[in-house]
Amino acid sequence: MTDAPVSRIRNFSIIAHIDHGKSTLADRLLQTTGTVSAREMKEQLLDNMDLERERGITIKLQAARMNYKAKDGQDYVLNLIDTPGHVDFSYEVSRSLAACEGALLVVDASQGVEAQTLANVYLALENNLEIIPVLNKIDLPGAEPDRVAGEIEEIIGLDCSDAIHASAKEGIGIVDILEAIVEKVPPPQDTVDQPLRALIFDSYYDAYRGVIVYFRVMDGTVKKGDRVRFMVSHKEYQIDELGVLSPNQIQVDALHAGEVGYLAAAIKSVEDARVGDTITLSAAPAKEPLPGYTEAKPMVFCGLFPTDADQFEDLREALEKLRLNDAALQYEPETSSAMGFGFRCGFLGLLHMEIVQERLEREYNLDLITTAPSVIYKVTKINGEEVFIDNPSLLPDPQHREKIEEPYVKVDMITPEEYVGALMELSQNRRGIFTDMKYLTQGRTTLTYEIPLAEVVTDFFDQMKSRSRGYASMEYHLIGYRENPLVKLDVMINGDPVDPLATIVHRDKAYHVGKALVEKLKELIPRHQFKIPLQATIGSRIIASEHIPALRKDVLAKCYGGDISRKKKLLQKQAKGKKRLKAIGTVDVPQEAFMAVLKL
Amino acid sequence: MPDQVSTATLADRPTAAYVHIPFCRRRCYYCDFPISVVGDRPPQWQQGQLQFGTIADYVEILCREIRATPRYSAASLDTVFLGGGTPSLLTSEQLDQILKAIDCCFGIASDAEISMEIDPNTFDLDRLRGYRAAGINRVSLGVQAFQTELLQACGRTHTAADVYAAIEMIHQVNLTNFSLDLISGLPHLTAADWQDSLEKAIALAPSHLSVYDLTIEPGTAFARRYQPGESPLPTDDMTAQMYRAARQTLTQAGYEHYEISNYAKPGYQCRHNRVYWENRSYYGFGMAAASYVQQQRFTRPRQRQAYAAWVQDYENAGGTIACPVTDQAERLLDTLMLGLRLSEGLSLSKLETDFGGRSLQQVLTCLEPFQRQGWVALTGAPDSRLRLTDPQGFLFSNVVLSQLFKELGEG
Repeated sequence: MTDAPVSRIRNFSIIAHIDHGKSTLADRLLQTTGTVSAREMKEQLLDNMDLERERGITIKLQAARMNYKAKDGQDYVLNLIDTPGHVDFSYEVSRSLAACEGALLVVDASQGVEAQTLANVYLALENNLEIIPVLNKIDLPGAEPDRVAGEIEEIIGLDCSDAIHASAKEGIGIVDILEAIVEKVPPPQDTVDQPLRALIFDSYYDAYRGVIVYFRVMDGTVKKGDRVRFMVSHKEYQIDELGVLSPNQIQVDALHAGEVGYLAAAIKSVEDARVGDTITLSAAPAKEPLPGYTEAKPMVFCGLFPTDADQFEDLREALEKLRLNDAALQYEPETSSAMGFGFRCGFLGLLHMEIVQERLEREYNLDLITTAPSVIYKVTKINGEEVFIDNPSLLPDPQHREKIEEPYVKVDMITPEEYVGALMELSQNRRGIFTDMKYLTQGRTTLTYEIPLAEVVTDFFDQMKSRSRGYASMEYHLIGYRENPLVKLDVMINGDPVDPLATIVHRDKAYHVGKALVEKLKELIPRHQFKIPLQATIGSRIIASEHIPALRKDVLAKCYGGDISRKKKLLQKQAKGKKRLKAIGTVDVPQEAFMAVLKL
Repeated sequence: MPDQVSTATLADRPTAAYVHIPFCRRRCYYCDFPISVVGDRPPQWQQGQLQFGTIADYVEILCREIRATPRYSAASLDTVFLGGGTPSLLTSEQLDQILKAIDCCFGIASDAEISMEIDPNTFDLDRLRGYRAAGINRVSLGVQAFQTELLQACGRTHTAADVYAAIEMIHQVNLTNFSLDLISGLPHLTAADWQDSLEKAIALAPSHLSVYDLTIEPGTAFARRYQPGESPLPTDDMTAQMYRAARQTLTQAGYEHYEISNYAKPGYQCRHNRVYWENRSYYGFGMAAASYVQQQRFTRPRQRQAYAAWVQDYENAGGTIACPVTDQAERLLDTLMLGLRLSEGLSLSKLETDFGGRSLQQVLTCLEPFQRQGWVALTGAPDSRLRLTDPQGFLFSNVVLSQLFKELGEG
């Protein structure tokens, strides 16, 4: 490993919208600097979770150290710190950016700036990063680099006269990018003499070595064998292994200010070494931790219940294991009269929730029922006490509460002009309050609304995509709590209240939601041998009702000429459906029913 | 011969053959089976050379397949069944040609049951005599209903009067073993019409009756026109009631309800269909025909051209089929799914011998709740049997079977 003086280190991130080519560019940089040979090249090296590959998005960030001989004849060390591309993980993005002095802003030259890109650019500017605009996919026939450069100048106010024209796929402009990193990104400050402070920007759990911590040394020096303290968690560990990522782990003896690396110290859980925490030496601690640490705050909650009660302990173990690697995941046991034993879990957002749910089912082979996501409501009781409610079924009764407040988010959307009307209608229907609209270049528009988070965590994103034919993008962040006339809508199946179906809705929408919900449940719940009444209620008042008629027969009349294959397929399909049913009283309810409220 | 084939099933050598005749005058509105429509006007299908050419070509290819198929059993065939489509669109010469090919390759036992499906208004007395002479000793007549307007509403090419004419001819050629098909749950069918059909069927004194509940298959004319359970289709309540009425009326008239959809006078159960229900092996010949030989379940291509090409390959491959053998777990599910269609159900000792005590125990545990519910019954020693009850267990057989698939299937 080249030992680089601080003046020849460059730390940078790549900011890009999904599909704008970040991973391809990262791969190309590794290849061009000879960090990874073409032979070793797997597509999109940095995203190494299956789920990420499948969805084409980066969830967990990684890092890579590259050696680069620049045109000035000097050897440089370039550290690429990757960032997740989804709004659920904006805190992790901010910590990654804080570990850098510069960032490549990669924009698809055939598309333009998207909402998430914008949000991350602002984060980078807050962290005083030097931003290098890169117009990617220049080889595409539809590329309009001048238009997109103009858009970047207009929206972000960034000078694009030197913007690099590149195609990561075709290998165009890669050397220009590397040279720009060397020339424009400032070297880290030389603070080797100060007490150690290293910023954690990622960590993951390894079954053999404990938590592997990724960090950037901000001040001082860290050596293998040092006893270090994590300043927020107050945990102390001795470093067993220290190294750099190239992008595979390569052990070194010491890392100094400006460098990026990893350590292993038999750390039991990522909770002890959280993203944003500061590492210092136990023997000579720094006075202050680095700024910017925040506790990961779940915004979205749902219940997870095993379809088979026997799997409760397996679910607990699986959640424990996931949490070792995901400090943002919260869970606590939940008992529901309808569902039995399960867990109430908190997530950063909907994507985070889907990822956890999918991993539980895929990697731990659990059959789960997930209840509809809920936000945290702030309820003021008559006696003045304030409580936070993340489970609608636990909302205090009307006679005990003074008011309910719900979280609002500011939603920024960027869309081609022709979809503005459709998106305004969507936002209005979701109780959104219009705050701003700006015309960008050539028919592109930004649209800003303040919308209750509860209305966003349903299918808002999908609706936005479908109403804009996939062209619009969005970003949101929490802006605070506001009081609203909210009521709890309960659902009764066969006369029994089903608490996981309870939902908190605006009073003016309650009737409509209740009616649509029971209609949807009628479609989703299979027929039984008895008639099943479905009711939506507010308090003791029934506002909508339906019933599922009794099943009178389920029999196949014949198999043609001994061909049993079709009959068998049908039975297999039925059998598969049964695995996803949860018995509530005497009624078997499928998973989709618990998500019905999202699909109205 | 694949070496995975267990000795237990090697003992089960096919002594049954199914032959598929994929031609119809018209497509009935409920039918989604692969068939070729040969046209409606009698001159064309009776004498016209045009369509005859196509059927004759098909018979040629069919006979090539029969001749290319290895004989797996020293014993002659105990049953042959010609299904369709409409096998009665064959001339008696064509039928004779097919049966001769089968007899020549596999041997047809002298007391074999040789059945064919025939439709009213597709044959005359001469042709029926010809069939009889070729060896047919059992026919199954596609009646479906006794109300001409109902028949028209489901796209059948015959009237109620044609049914009587067909029966008359059956009697004239001295076919005492004949079956009638009826369909319940047809659009506009009322309980009274259904009862009327049942009584008229009994009056014709068939030895066997098949009573099918209409299934709306995707892609059919009915699927485009009607919503299951909604008018003019009878409700599920009504069709379940029709099922019970058929059982009541037919058993009172001396028919045993021996399978979910089948009734027979004592001694007249369909021997061929029992082969399926007992999960025994059988040859299959013709387009879209299924076979179960050497533990290989195989369905032939469903298009004419593809079938012809397949026969060519099959001949070149020396009559071997490349498809996986049914493993033990699959075979247990097949056995249950088919065997529980019979009112006599399955023998516990046979299940144990074939699949082991552990599997049997799993099956019994899985079915326990249904036993309590009265859908499944166990009959006592000495010959302990597991069966679905009639009518409740039969009516909800899919609920029971899908539970077995869930518990015993791989996923």
